[in-house]
Amino acid sequence: MVNPRRTALLLGTALVAGGLALASGPAMAQKKGGSLVYANVSAVGTMDPHVAAAVVDLETIHHVYEGLVEMGEDYRAAPMLASKIDISPDGRTFTFSLRKGVKFANGKEMTAADVIASFERYKKVSPNAPALGDVAGMETPDPYTFVIKLNKPNSLFVEVMKTPTYSFAILPAEQKDKPARDPDLVGIGPYVVSEWARDSHLVLKRNDNYVADESAKGPDGYAGKKTAFLDSIRYNSVPEANTRVAALQTGGADFIGALPGDVAKRLKGRTDISVLSVIPFCQATFISHAKNFTNRSVRQAVSMLIDSEEMMEAAGQVWDRNPSLMFKPSYYFSDVGAAMYDQHSVDKAKALLKAGNYAGQKVVLETNTNYAYMRDSSQVLVEQMKKAGINVELKMVDWTTNVGDLSKGTGGWDMTITGLCSGPLLGPQQWRLSLAFAQNPDDPVVTEGYAKMFATTDAAERKKIWMGIEKYFIEEGYMMKVADIADLRGMNDKFVGIKPYYMQRFWDVWKK
Amino acid sequence: MTEAPAEFLAPRRRFQVLRRLARHRSFRIGFVIVVLLTLAAIFAPLITSFDPTAMRARIRFRPPQEAYWFGTDNFGRDVFTRCLYGARLSLTIGLGVALLSGVVGTAAGIVSAQFRRLDAMIMRLMDGLMAFPAIILAIGLAAAMGPNIGSLIVALSVAYIPRTARIVRASALVVRELEFVDAARVSGASSLRIIWKHLLPNCMGPLLVQLTFVFAYAILAEAALSFLGIGPPPPAPSWGNIIAEGRDQAVDAWWIMFFPGLAISLATLGMNLLGDGLRDVLDPRLKVET
Amino acid sequence: MRMLRRLLLRLGQAIPVILVVAVLAFFLMHLLPGDPAAVIAGPEAGAEAVERIRRQLGLDRSIPEQLLVWLWHLAQGDFGTSIIHNQSVLQALADRMPVTASLTLVAFAMTIPIGIVLGVAAAKFRNTWVDSAVMLMALIGVSVPGFWIAILSVILFSVTLGWLPASGYVPLSEGVWPWLRALIQPAAMLALFQIGFLARMARSATLDVLDQDYIRTARAKGVSEWRTIAKHAFRNTLIPVVTTTGIILSLLMGGSVVIEQVFAMPGVGRLIVQAILTRDYPMVQGTLLALAFLFVAINLMVDIVYTWVDPRVRYD
Repeated sequence: MVNPRRTALLLGTALVAGGLALASGPAMAQKKGGSLVYANVSAVGTMDPHVAAAVVDLETIHHVYEGLVEMGEDYRAAPMLASKIDISPDGRTFTFSLRKGVKFANGKEMTAADVIASFERYKKVSPNAPALGDVAGMETPDPYTFVIKLNKPNSLFVEVMKTPTYSFAILPAEQKDKPARDPDLVGIGPYVVSEWARDSHLVLKRNDNYVADESAKGPDGYAGKKTAFLDSIRYNSVPEANTRVAALQTGGADFIGALPGDVAKRLKGRTDISVLSVIPFCQATFISHAKNFTNRSVRQAVSMLIDSEEMMEAAGQVWDRNPSLMFKPSYYFSDVGAAMYDQHSVDKAKALLKAGNYAGQKVVLETNTNYAYMRDSSQVLVEQMKKAGINVELKMVDWTTNVGDLSKGTGGWDMTITGLCSGPLLGPQQWRLSLAFAQNPDDPVVTEGYAKMFATTDAAERKKIWMGIEKYFIEEGYMMKVADIADLRGMNDKFVGIKPYYMQRFWDVWKK
Repeated sequence: MTEAPAEFLAPRRRFQVLRRLARHRSFRIGFVIVVLLTLAAIFAPLITSFDPTAMRARIRFRPPQEAYWFGTDNFGRDVFTRCLYGARLSLTIGLGVALLSGVVGTAAGIVSAQFRRLDAMIMRLMDGLMAFPAIILAIGLAAAMGPNIGSLIVALSVAYIPRTARIVRASALVVRELEFVDAARVSGASSLRIIWKHLLPNCMGPLLVQLTFVFAYAILAEAALSFLGIGPPPPAPSWGNIIAEGRDQAVDAWWIMFFPGLAISLATLGMNLLGDGLRDVLDPRLKVET
Repeated sequence: MRMLRRLLLRLGQAIPVILVVAVLAFFLMHLLPGDPAAVIAGPEAGAEAVERIRRQLGLDRSIPEQLLVWLWHLAQGDFGTSIIHNQSVLQALADRMPVTASLTLVAFAMTIPIGIVLGVAAAKFRNTWVDSAVMLMALIGVSVPGFWIAILSVILFSVTLGWLPASGYVPLSEGVWPWLRALIQPAAMLALFQIGFLARMARSATLDVLDQDYIRTARAKGVSEWRTIAKHAFRNTLIPVVTTTGIILSLLMGGSVVIEQVFAMPGVGRLIVQAILTRDYPMVQGTLLALAFLFVAINLMVDIVYTWVDPRVRYD
C-alpha cells in the first residue's frame, strides 16, 4: 500500500472537537522520564527541514529544528530564535535580532553566520525558495544580528518564513553545502535524533544542550518555551489502520495518527484511551483543469452537485461545513463562496447544462484509491453527475499517479480531487504555486492579484484582494469545496499535556 | 513413461475421463461450487433487484438482515448484490488469466519442445521471469499499465506464464520422443501437424490441471492487489476491492469485508477441488506443482 | 567436479537473463505514470517545485542517459540510491533482509514439520475422517486470501484475546523470545498457505511410497507400519519436499509482501511494494536485481541438496 499521507497532508489546525478529556495540568505534577511510542501511517522520509513537506516528516523535524520565527498557537508568526524583528517602513529591509546563548545539539552556539549559511542553503535546495527569493543582500553587522534586504517590498516576508512546511530552520554553518535531503542531523530543538531505521522507526531523545526561550511563558504553537519531559519518543511506521488501532488497544503504541473515522469508533468504551479530533486539518476540494475542462457552464453545473454530507458520511469522515477555501481561524476566511457551496441540486445543475448547450461531452474525473475521502467523495459525485445527465468517466489511479497528474496537469483529466491543508490555514502567501495547479499560470486574475497582495502593506486591503481571487475560483467552477475534514488521533491517557495541534507536539508532555 | 499415451481427445477416452471425473468426490464438490458461483455471476441481475453501485444514504451500515442478506456498506449499497456482481469481475479475471497464460504458456512450451534451437532462449526468459515472486511481478506490471481489468489480466498472466510453459514443455518433450511421433516425422508430417495432432492433445491433461490452479491463484492475487490499492478500480465491485474498501470497518461493520472474503475462499476452494480431481483423473503422475 | 561445472554453467546462464530482466524492469518503471518528485513535493506544491526536485534527483536527464548511468554504476557494484529514502539501495536491503529472512524462516520452520506430519497422517489414514479433515484444512489453507485472514487474526488474537502483539518487528539482538513473539502471528499467517500446499504434496508422496513393494514386504514381515513410514516413507517424502523448497521460499517471499504490510514489518517485501508505488526507480531496479540473484542462489542450493538427498539423481 502506498503511504499517501507521507506526502499528502501538510497541515491542519487544532480546535478540539468533542469527546476529549485531557487531564488538567496543574493537578498533575510535571516530571521527567518515560518514553512514548507513536505509530503513524508512514515512516519519516527525510529529516531535511528545508525540503520536507510530508506531515510525518515535519512532526519529527519540529522537535529537532527551529527557525527564526515559528508558527504560534494562533497560526501567526511568533519569534523563536529571533527575539525581535524590525521591518523598515518601505517593507524591504528586515532586521532579526538573535537570541543569545542558543546552542545547537552539538553544543556550539548559534550566531548570525549560521543564519546566513542556512539562508544560502535554503535558496539552493528548498522547493519553497522562490517564495523567499528576490534578495538584494544579507549582512551580519554583529554575531547576533541578521539583516536581509529585498529588491521589492514584500509585506508577507515574515509570514512566509514561519511556514512549517519547507521550514526555514537554522542549521550550523558547516551544513551550507550539504545536498538536499542529506544534511547532518544537527539542529536546535528540545529533542535530537538518536536512532533512525529508514521506513521503520525513528527515535528521538532529549537534547541536553537545548536552551529554551525563557522569555516566553510556555509553549506557543511551534514557538515559545519548550520543555522536554519525555526521555524519548519513538515514531513507528504502521501503514495499515486496523493494525495501528490494534497497537493502541494492546499497548504496542501510546499514540496513533491518521485514524479513519470508522476505525476510531472501536476506541469508544475504553476509559484509558482518548480520541483527539484535529479539525480543520485539511479540506476536500475538487479541482477543474482549466485547459481541459473549458466549458464554464458544465464546471458550474458540477459545482451545484456537490453534496458535502453525503460525501463525508460515506467516507466516514469527521467533518465541518465551510464554504471558504480558507479555514475559519485564518485571517483570510470569508463567506464569498457561500452561494455556490453544498447546493446538492440536480435541478440547478441541469439548468446550467442547458444554458451551456451541453451536448454530452465526456468529463473525466480522476481520483485515487489510497485516500478514503477522495475515493468516496468522487464516487458520490460521479453518481450525482450521472443523475444530472453528464457523461462522466471515473478514472481511479494510485496516489502517486494522481499527485503527479495534479501538479503537472498530465493524465487527461477534467476534474480531480485533493486535500488542501497548509494553504487554507497559513494564508494566500502559501498558495502562490498551488493555485496554479494545472491551471493557467498566466491567468491575469491570479498574477495581478498576487502582485498587488504582496505589494500592499494594508492587511485589510490584502484580504479584499484575496477574496476577489477566491470568488473568481469558486464562481468559475475551478475549485469546488466539499468540506473541512478532521484528522483523528488516538492516545493513551497515561500521558499528560498532549494537545491536539495540527502537527503533533510532544514537548511539555509527561507521563503520569 | 514410454507407454503410448492415450489420445486425450479420442472420443472413447473422453467418455472414460468424464465418467471417472463424475465419480471423483472432490471433483464433484469443486464442480458444484464453481458452477453455482458462475451461475450466480451470470444471473446476478435476476437474483438481486439492487444496483451494485447505487448509493442510498439512508441505509448505511445495516447489519445482515432479511432485506440485505450480507448487510449494507458505507454508501448504503447492498453487500450481497456487490458480492454477486463482484463474482463477475473476479471470475472474469480468474478465467482471463487462466486463458491468456494458458495460450501463451502453451505456445512457449510447445515451441520450446518442437524447435530445439529456440528452447534455450525461451526457457532462459522464463527462468528470468520466475526469478521474481509472481506477486511482485504482477504489482509492477499492474502499476505500469494502469488500473483496469485488461491490464490486471495481462499482469497476472505474465506472472503465471513461465510455470505453465514449463509444464507444457515437459509433457511435450516426453511425447516428442515416442515412436509414433517419430514415425509421423519420418513420414514427412510437418511440424505444425505434429504439434497439432500429437503434442497439443497430449499436453492437455497437465495443462488443464495447471490452469485450474492458475485460476485460483489469480482470484487470490486480485484480492492482494486490491489490498495494495492497484486492483480493479471502484466503484465496479470485485471481491478484492470490496474487502479493500471495507477494511476500515472490519470490526464495526464486519460484514462488508467478511462476506467477499468468504466468497474468495469458496471460489478458490472450488477451483482447487476441481484441479485435484482433474489431476487424479487426467494425470496421475503429476504431483502438486505450481 | 562435473556437478561443479554444471552449477557454474547454470550460474553463467542466469546472469544475462537477470540483466535483461533488470533492463526491462528499468523501462517498465519509467513507463509508470506518476513522478517521484511529485510524491516528495506533495499535492500543494506547484509544477515549479516539482521541477526543482526533479533536477536535484537527476530525473530531468533523458531515459537512455539514466539507464547508462545506472548500468555504469552497477558495473562498479553501486546499486544506486533510493529516491524516497535517500539511502543506498544495498544498505536498505541489508537493513530489511533480516526482517524478511526471520519472517520467512519462522514460517518455513512452521511449514515443514506441520505440513509433512499432516500429509503423512492423511496418507496413513487415507479415506478415513482423518484424511478428509486434514485435506479440508489444507485446502482451506491454500484458499483464503492472506491479508483478509491476517486482519481478522489481529482482531481476534491481538485485540480481543490480547495474546500476541499486533504489529512490529523486534530484532533478534533483543532476545530470542521477544523476537519470536513478534513473529508468531505474521509467520503463522504466512505459513498457512504453504502448510496446505506442503500437506497435499506430502500426502500424495507418502501414498506413492506406501504402495511400493518394499513397504508391503516390510509390512508383511511384521514391522510396524509407523516404523516403516518413519524409515522409508519419510525419506522418500523429503525428495519432492526438497525440490519444491525453492517454490515454497518464492511463495513465502511473495506472501510476505502482503503480510509485512498488515503487520507493519519493515521487510524487503514492503520495501519493494512501497518503492513501486512511490516510483522509487533505483530502489525497485536494485531490489529486483538482488532478489533475482538470491533466487538463483537458492535454486542452486536446492539442486545440491537434491543430489544429496536422492543419490539416484546425477547431473548429466
